[in-house]
Amino acid sequence: MSASINANVGEINELNLSYLLLAQRMLREDMPSAMYRLGLSKEVGSVLSSLSLSQIVKLAASSSILCRFRFDDHAILSSLTHDNKEQALQQAHASILLSGQTVEEMH
Amino acid sequence: MANKSLVVEAQEIKLAIDLIQLGARLQFLEAETSLSRDRLIKLYKEIKGISPPKGLLPFSTDWFMTWLANIHSSMFYNIYKFMLQEAECSPIDAVIKSYRLYLEQVARQGGEPVLDFTRAWTLTRFFDSKMLQQSECTRCHGHFVAHAHDPRHDYVCVLCRPPSRAGKTRKSAEKRLAEV
Repeated sequence: MSASINANVGEINELNLSYLLLAQRMLREDMPSAMYRLGLSKEVGSVLSSLSLSQIVKLAASSSILCRFRFDDHAILSSLTHDNKEQALQQAHASILLSGQTVEEMH
Repeated sequence: MANKSLVVEAQEIKLAIDLIQLGARLQFLEAETSLSRDRLIKLYKEIKGISPPKGLLPFSTDWFMTWLANIHSSMFYNIYKFMLQEAECSPIDAVIKSYRLYLEQVARQGGEPVLDFTRAWTLTRFFDSKMLQQSECTRCHGHFVAHAHDPRHDYVCVLCRPPSRAGKTRKSAEKRLAEV
């Protein structure tokens, strides 16, 4: 049990680190597009892009996952995944919901 | 025009090149840059290898309401609005960045871009002039392109309630047959 928890925490740290490094690279390459893909505000985006490597490593060492699941409404999530729509339409729908949602809910 | 800054001119040429590559029409290039018509035509020919198409820009809001066009327009407009409001891009940068992201999404979904660049830009102008609005779907809470002053209180989007013939084109029928 504790071995599996340790393994999970290890994976969480790795996930956090990959997420932060990827987010930082994307933000430095093209801030507006990265904000859109990550669903982050300009303020959070600028802080993330200016973190040093050692700050990122420390932040990633948390035992909780640092990025949030963006489909946090169960009804929408189940309609997106259970609908027998064509895949392209399902993805189009997901894209509309994600981009509309961030504008409202980031504040 | 004689003492126009070379740096500004270079930036405008760069912008015009980006726009031509995305498929912008001549009228659009004239509106967004201060380069002369002759230079724009020359630039267009150099990049595309053909003369710019003649003819007027599309001017009807109805096109954006047909089923697939409404889905694509709504995809694009949600990204555009994000670029404008959250990323604080200038309108022209917002159009370019969101159109590129739109193309990328459509390509990843294995589809064809239904919304061309000129229509995407026209869409933003229709919103500016309050001929279109975004209506929130009462089921999925997504924001979709709609005519201005359309009732919003019980709006259901084209993805939550697709019309019965939606997507049943000859092409999609062939695709279904091929999969069987």
